[in-house]
Amino acid sequence: MKSAKWENIFKGWDNSESEAVHTLKKIPVFKNLSHKDFNELENMMHHRDYKVGDFIFKNRAPGEGMYIIMRGSIKITIGTRSGNENTLAELEKGEFFGELALFDDEPRSANAIAIEDCKLLGFFTQDLMILQERNPVLGHKIMFNLGGLLGERLRRTNHMLIKEQSK
Amino acid sequence: MINQQINYIQQIYRIILTLIAIWFINLIWPFISDVILMLVFAFLFTTLLLSSVDTFERKIGNRGLSVLGVVIILLTSISTFIGSFISQISIQAQEFSERVDQATMMSEFKSLGDKMTSAMPSFMKSEESSSDYLANKLTEVTQSVLGSLGSLVSIVGNFMFIAIMVFIFTIILLSEYHKFKKVLVNSIPNKFFELGLKLIYNIEKSVSSYLRGQFLSAASVGGMSIAGLLLLNFFGANITLVIFIGIIAGLANLIPLVGPFVGMIPALLIAFMNNLGNDAATSHMFLGTIPSPFFCIDIIFMFLIVQQIEGNLITPALVGKSVGLHPMLVMIVLLIGGTLLGPLGMLFAVPATGVIKVIIKEIAFVRKNAHLL
Repeated sequence: MKSAKWENIFKGWDNSESEAVHTLKKIPVFKNLSHKDFNELENMMHHRDYKVGDFIFKNRAPGEGMYIIMRGSIKITIGTRSGNENTLAELEKGEFFGELALFDDEPRSANAIAIEDCKLLGFFTQDLMILQERNPVLGHKIMFNLGGLLGERLRRTNHMLIKEQSK
Repeated sequence: MINQQINYIQQIYRIILTLIAIWFINLIWPFISDVILMLVFAFLFTTLLLSSVDTFERKIGNRGLSVLGVVIILLTSISTFIGSFISQISIQAQEFSERVDQATMMSEFKSLGDKMTSAMPSFMKSEESSSDYLANKLTEVTQSVLGSLGSLVSIVGNFMFIAIMVFIFTIILLSEYHKFKKVLVNSIPNKFFELGLKLIYNIEKSVSSYLRGQFLSAASVGGMSIAGLLLLNFFGANITLVIFIGIIAGLANLIPLVGPFVGMIPALLIAFMNNLGNDAATSHMFLGTIPSPFFCIDIIFMFLIVQQIEGNLITPALVGKSVGLHPMLVMIVLLIGGTLLGPLGMLFAVPATGVIKVIIKEIAFVRKNAHLL
């Protein structure tokens, strides 16, 4: 049986990473970061719990930043003119959403609803700005990764557009 | 109909609750006002020092040590300033008391009164405004000021207690600031999460940009006052402790409207102390036309110029935009702050109004967009 006393004494010696860092390492926005960078990011992240059916955000609401799914799953939906809900995507553990809100002041373009109890990590515009001030190197790395991600999506969209036009 | 009645009952219920809350706050206010004041001061100091502590922490990787480093640097600077100021001022006071006894002071005031009366236009001269009357009054005022110095001891004791408590609160806040903030953010319900986060960030931004702007403008007032006093010395004003006077003028400038006038008092006192008995300084004329004994008009004029530059050029650029309040509103809140808490109230009136403005703006937004939350 493990003794709590010994666990406390050797707490700092344990190099195993937390669940948050483990999740963050899978996100392309945070690739090429050091162990220290992940620890700093973990301290900045906001842990949020949502029950099944809870809105994470609503369409047209002001957007403040991105969410990373640590546990559970969510769906992205948009209301149609006929009053129905169209599900655009279902996202699971290790995926992220809402990252466009990090760059612009535009309102959210869809709803995000928890489809099971979930644990999310929130990373917001303010956090990114504080990070740029406190640790510009880390801030630039994240901005560069975000830029790369958006560039990749644009390239994919262009490719699809060209494919559609050539049909 | 029933719904309308329920609404009315809800409204009445809310009004009663608000009145009870106001009554309760009023009841406990005398007991908590000092603590709240200390916490507000500690929060303001924390906001000012936070970026330095964060920078240190990034360099050395230890929060506790970085807080200690910043606090040691700050305390050393403050104690060096106060220590050297007290020693300089005591030397000055000793020299002054050696040079001038009561009889000399009386005769100096008398001759000053004569000079001022002779410089007045004839219609302003009356029997009552004789030089003896003026000399007696000035001596009375000077002696009552010196006599009341003893009662300052208790005020200083009270101030020291508040200062120590603010210091302790500041150290705790500096060490745990990010943890406290995280606890606060985590306590926001999911529905209002992003909005609450934005509100906290906007309040932080508003307070810190206001404070930074104020301190930059205080530094510029200090610098300009030092330059102005050195210029007056060049024309023979014989003002010592120029750097201290500049720093005091800069710090006093933090209190809007009243501060700049407080800033010129040490300069006038030192000019008076240094030039008492000096005939050239007593009969000095400002711009060769207006009588300016001990260069007092020159000093006031110099501080007015500094205030104009600061008020019209520096503050609008550094502070005005950060809070964005109308000058009329600034004056009203200053009066309210001054009435409630004295000079301290005046010091905090503008940033507190800035914070209230941010909160009202966000509440208005929530009321307008409640369906989106």
